[in-house]
Amino acid sequence: MPSVISITKLAKHYQVPEREAGLKAAAMGLIKRRYKTVKAVDEISFEIQPGEVVGFLGPNGAGKTTTLKMLSGLLHPTSGSTSVLGFEPAKRSHDFLRQITLVMGNRNQLSWDLPALDSFDLQRAIYSIPMDEFKRTRDEFIELLELKELVQKPIRNLSLGERMKMEIVGALLHKPKILFLDEPTLGLDVTMQKRIRTFVAEYNKRYDATVLLTSHYMADVEALCKRVVVIHHGKLLFDGDLSALVEKFSAFKTVGFTINSASVDWSQYGEVISTDGARMVLRVPKEKTSAITTRLLNDLAVEDLTVEAAPIEDVIESVFAVKEEAVE
Amino acid sequence: MHGLRLAFNYLRIGVLNEFQYRANFYIQILQTFIALATGLIGLNLVFSQTDQLGGWSKPELLAVMGVFITMGGVIRSAIQPNMERLMEEIREGKLDFALTKPADAQLLVSVREFRFWQTVDVITGMVVMGVALAQMNWLISGWSALGFFTAIAMGAVMIYCFWLMITTTAFWFVRVHEIANLFEGLYAAGRWPIDIYPNWLRIGLTFLVPVAFAVTVPAEALTGRLTFQTWIGAFVLTIVLFTIARTIWKIGLRSYSGASA
Repeated sequence: MPSVISITKLAKHYQVPEREAGLKAAAMGLIKRRYKTVKAVDEISFEIQPGEVVGFLGPNGAGKTTTLKMLSGLLHPTSGSTSVLGFEPAKRSHDFLRQITLVMGNRNQLSWDLPALDSFDLQRAIYSIPMDEFKRTRDEFIELLELKELVQKPIRNLSLGERMKMEIVGALLHKPKILFLDEPTLGLDVTMQKRIRTFVAEYNKRYDATVLLTSHYMADVEALCKRVVVIHHGKLLFDGDLSALVEKFSAFKTVGFTINSASVDWSQYGEVISTDGARMVLRVPKEKTSAITTRLLNDLAVEDLTVEAAPIEDVIESVFAVKEEAVE
Repeated sequence: MHGLRLAFNYLRIGVLNEFQYRANFYIQILQTFIALATGLIGLNLVFSQTDQLGGWSKPELLAVMGVFITMGGVIRSAIQPNMERLMEEIREGKLDFALTKPADAQLLVSVREFRFWQTVDVITGMVVMGVALAQMNWLISGWSALGFFTAIAMGAVMIYCFWLMITTTAFWFVRVHEIANLFEGLYAAGRWPIDIYPNWLRIGLTFLVPVAFAVTVPAEALTGRLTFQTWIGAFVLTIVLFTIARTIWKIGLRSYSGASA
């Protein structure tokens, strides 16, 4: 199947004025400005197939939002090429824009003082959605997200999570084929995150939509994305299955066991993560795992020994800790 | 067609929005009343000293005032709120939502806001014009009426273009908030027909800030002064200004998206 999103050596450089702190430097800046080129996105390439849900990960400032903006036609790339549904996004053709949506967790587009229903009508006008189709989709989404009681209240009276749900409904009324979701669960509580996650999964299934999602909550990524693309310092660091990411980047495993004698110098085995009565959990370097477990079993009277991969949060942390020079 | 429907939908939302704030309606009525009263007092003061001002009689100047109030209402209800929102969104980087919509971006940013209560001014101005015409014994020809309606429409478009050009500069000079105050100051000059001003100011109010075309020219039509040359001039200038404004907007948008970088 041909890919729906395809980017090749995509780059975006910004010219940022640069000066020292202080009044004198500020005054000098009026006369002569020094500019520094910041490579927000530095020649990244990847392809996404129809119907895929891909997690787009990276620390703050890695270039995720810049990439999403280039894919949705808001920014012109400095170099490289992008193709989304066969369109060049930067041309912002209406046929292209009708098939995508961009949701940003920290911004809202619904009218603050009005009930969501009124704002939905506006979306219908913007996207020229036929009335019966519009009503069907709207009611379907309202039901899926359990918003029936809330659609007639002004947006300003809703909680952050309820507002986000409304935003998502508004952003999907035209049933886009491609969803760019930038931190859709930002600041929401666990239940609300879960609800939104389920909805995205359901939408993906019902309409065979392609989703590119950024999130700082690994639970979102684990629940929704089989595949992840990781960028860091504007460069592509990893592209593949989530499980392979764990395999590649986790430097540690956790070893748990039960032991009765307490007076042991654990530092020779690994780093103690937790002790709960007789239950100990150690963190050990991945390559030494088998050696250490063997020693534990031989030296001490340990029981119920388990070895687990490091939690995904830890893996991501070690990925993000990679220094700029080390990226390729 | 799509554009018209879109504008209508935003208008509807604007009206719905304003209905949530009933207090604004009363405040607006109060403001309009005060502005009208001071205007009338000023006019009476002038005409207690003389019975002509730059060739305009008292009822004629009342007509100018009517146009001034109506046009002010149009600007504050439909033009200024949109441009101020645009300015703010450029500054805060919130324009993204408008730009991901399948609609002409300039159209979209120009119709999103509508301050319904400001239409109190539009109506009040019309009443004042009606009174002025009555004092002139309704001596207005069909051609003059046509000239008036077209002139007021062109005037509104010119003011819109002026605002859009200034607002678009926000793409480069992020802070342009003071222009609202600047504009109000200059627009206030439209209270009087521009022939009474010295030459340099008259040129400025005609071509730099098109207050002359927005207020004086429609008032000329009402008072039977409008010449065909002036009307053609207004027509040409409207097209020229619109073309320039749209070009600057497009360039600004390119710079916003980094197309030129």
